[in-house]
Amino acid sequence: MNVSTAGAVQIIIRRELRLSFRRPDQLIQPLMFFLIVTTLFPLALSPQLSVLRDIAPGVLWVGALLSSLLAVEGMFRADADDGTLEQLVLSGHSLTVIVIAKTCAHWLLSGVALVLVAPVMAAALSVPAESFWLIMASLALGTLTLSWLGAIGAALTVGLKRGSVMLSLIVLPLAMPLLIFGASATDRAIHGDSAAGPLYLLGALCLFTSTLAPFAASAALRITME
Amino acid sequence: MTPRRKRLWVVLGILGGVAASVALAVMASRENIMFYFDPTQIADGKAPQHKRFRVGGMVVKGSVQRNPGDLQVRFVLSDFAHEVPVKYSGVLPDLFREGQGVIAHGTLDGGGTFVADEVLAKHDEKYMPPEVAASLKNKRAASTPKPAATPGNPQT
Amino acid sequence: MKWTWFHKLGSPPYVYRLARSIGPWLYALAALTIGYGVVAGLFFAPADYQQGDAFRIIYVHAPAAWMSLSAYTTMALAGAVALIWRIKIGHAVAAACAPIGASFTLAALITGSLWGRPMWGTFWAWDPRLTSELILMFLYFGVMSLRQAFDDPARGDRTAAVLAIVGVVNVPIIHYSVQWWNSLHQGATVAKFAKPSMPGSMLWPLLSVLLGFMLFFGAVLCTRLRAEVLNRERQSSWIKEALSSR
Repeated sequence: MNVSTAGAVQIIIRRELRLSFRRPDQLIQPLMFFLIVTTLFPLALSPQLSVLRDIAPGVLWVGALLSSLLAVEGMFRADADDGTLEQLVLSGHSLTVIVIAKTCAHWLLSGVALVLVAPVMAAALSVPAESFWLIMASLALGTLTLSWLGAIGAALTVGLKRGSVMLSLIVLPLAMPLLIFGASATDRAIHGDSAAGPLYLLGALCLFTSTLAPFAASAALRITME
Repeated sequence: MTPRRKRLWVVLGILGGVAASVALAVMASRENIMFYFDPTQIADGKAPQHKRFRVGGMVVKGSVQRNPGDLQVRFVLSDFAHEVPVKYSGVLPDLFREGQGVIAHGTLDGGGTFVADEVLAKHDEKYMPPEVAASLKNKRAASTPKPAATPGNPQT
Repeated sequence: MKWTWFHKLGSPPYVYRLARSIGPWLYALAALTIGYGVVAGLFFAPADYQQGDAFRIIYVHAPAAWMSLSAYTTMALAGAVALIWRIKIGHAVAAACAPIGASFTLAALITGSLWGRPMWGTFWAWDPRLTSELILMFLYFGVMSLRQAFDDPARGDRTAAVLAIVGVVNVPIIHYSVQWWNSLHQGATVAKFAKPSMPGSMLWPLLSVLLGFMLFFGAVLCTRLRAEVLNRERQSSWIKEALSSR
C-alpha cells in the first residue's frame, strides 16, 4: 500500500488521538498535575489576591512546564516497546515526518487541553478575565515549543529505564528562555501592558523549534532505537 | 517527487522557518521587553505608574544628598536629555559615585520621584589607569567647554 | 595523500601517542603564559581609574568565561564530527571536553559574582548574560549525565553528541546577550575587529592568560583524552604495547 507523506501524517495523528481517547488517563493525569501544582502556590505563599495576581504568571508557566514534561515522557516509549515505531520506520516514510506527526498529535492532546484549562486556574489566581485570551495565546505558543523540546528529550531518553529525571535534566535548561518570555507575556497581559514584545519572541522560539527540532528528535530517535 | 527535489524543499523549509523566526525576534527587539526605561521615556510618560521597572542613567554631579543619621540617599539620574530624581534607602555599591552609570529597580511615586529598592552600579568595558583617565579629562575639558560630550548612554 | 593526517587522527593509538607527547609541552607553555599573565596582571598592570584594584579579577574571569564557550563549541564540534563521519575518537574528545568546560563555567560564575558584589552591588543579578551562562552550566551537566545514563556506552556517546549540538544555540545567545538586551554586564573589551578599549599594559597580561587558559585546556584535554582512550580501548591489543613502550 502506498501512502503519501501527508496521508501518513494524517494516519499517525488519527491513531494517536484515537489511542488517547480510548485510554484517557494519559491525557488527564498531566492536567490533574497542572491543577494540583498551581494549587500548591496559593497554599504555600499567600491567599492574598493581590499577591496571587503578581505570582500568577510564574505559577501558570512553571505548572505548564512541569506538566508538559510529565506528558511528553511516554511520547515514544510505548511505540518503541511494542515495535510500532520500527514498523513505522519500515513503512518507508522518513523518521522526521513520523516525529512531526507524533509531536503534532501530542500537542493537540496535551497542549490544547492545558490551554483550555489555564483560564480556570488563572481565575483562581484572581487574574482579570480580560487577559485570558492573551494568556491562552501565549500558552498555546509555549506548549507547542515545549512539545518540540520534549520530543527531543523523549527521543534521547527512550531507551532508559529511569528516563524521567534525565528528561527533566535535558529539557528544563532548554526551556528556560521560554519560561522567561512566557511569564513576561502573561505578566504584561495581566497588568494591561502591551505584551507584543514577549509574544513575538514566543512566536520566534515556536517557529525556530518547529523548524529544527524534528531533525534533532529524529536523529536522536535513530540512535536510541538501533 | 524525486529525492533531489524533496531535499530542495526540505532545505528551503528550514531556511524559511529560521528566517521567519529571526524576523519575529527582530520585531520583538523593537519592543521594550526588559521593562527598562531611561529618563527621557519617563519624562514622556511612557513608564508605567505603580509598577516595578528599571531605570538607567548617569548620577548627576552634585546631586547626591545623604542623610547623616540613616542610609537615606537622594540623587538625580540623567540621560543628558532629561532627569529623574531618585530616592533610595540602603547600602550603595562601591562604584556608585557622581558621574557613574547606575541601574535602579523600583517604582515611580505620584510626584515623579523614582523610589528605588535596589541600586546597581554599571561599569563600562573600558579600563584605563587613573593617570590616563585624568589626562583624557583634561584634554576634553580643554577642547569642549561643556562635559556633556562624554558618551552619554551607560547602556552602550 | 593529503588526508592521511586526518585519517590518522581517527586512529586511537595514534591519538593516544600524540596526546602523550604533546601534553607535557602544553602544560609547560600554559604554566609560562598563565604565570606571566597573572604576575603582570595582578602586580604590574596599573589599577583601573574607576574600579581600582578590584578590576584585576578580570584576569581570571574573562578568560574563564571565554573558555567556557569555546570548550562547549569544541565539545559540540567533536560530537558532530563523530556523528557525521562515524569517527569514534570524536566521542572520546567530546567526553573529555565536558568536565573541563563545566569547570571553566563554574569558575566564570564564581569569579563573576565576586566581582559583581563590590562593583555592581550584588553577587548575582537575573540578567541575560548571567542567566544564559548559568544555563550553559546546566547544559554541561545534562550532556555529562546523559552520556553516563546508558548501559551501552556507544549509545550514551551519540545521544550526548546530539544534545550538545542542540545546546549550541545557547552559545551565540550568551555571546551577544550584552548587545541585544540592556544588560548589567558590560560589553566586550576585546572584540575581534575593534580596537580593544584597554591600554597595552593591561591588555597584554589578559591576552597572555587567555592564551594560557587555551593551552591549559589543551593540556588537560590531552590527559583526559588519554584516560578516555585507555578506558574505551581496554580490550585492544595495542594498549599493552603502548603502556609498555614508555
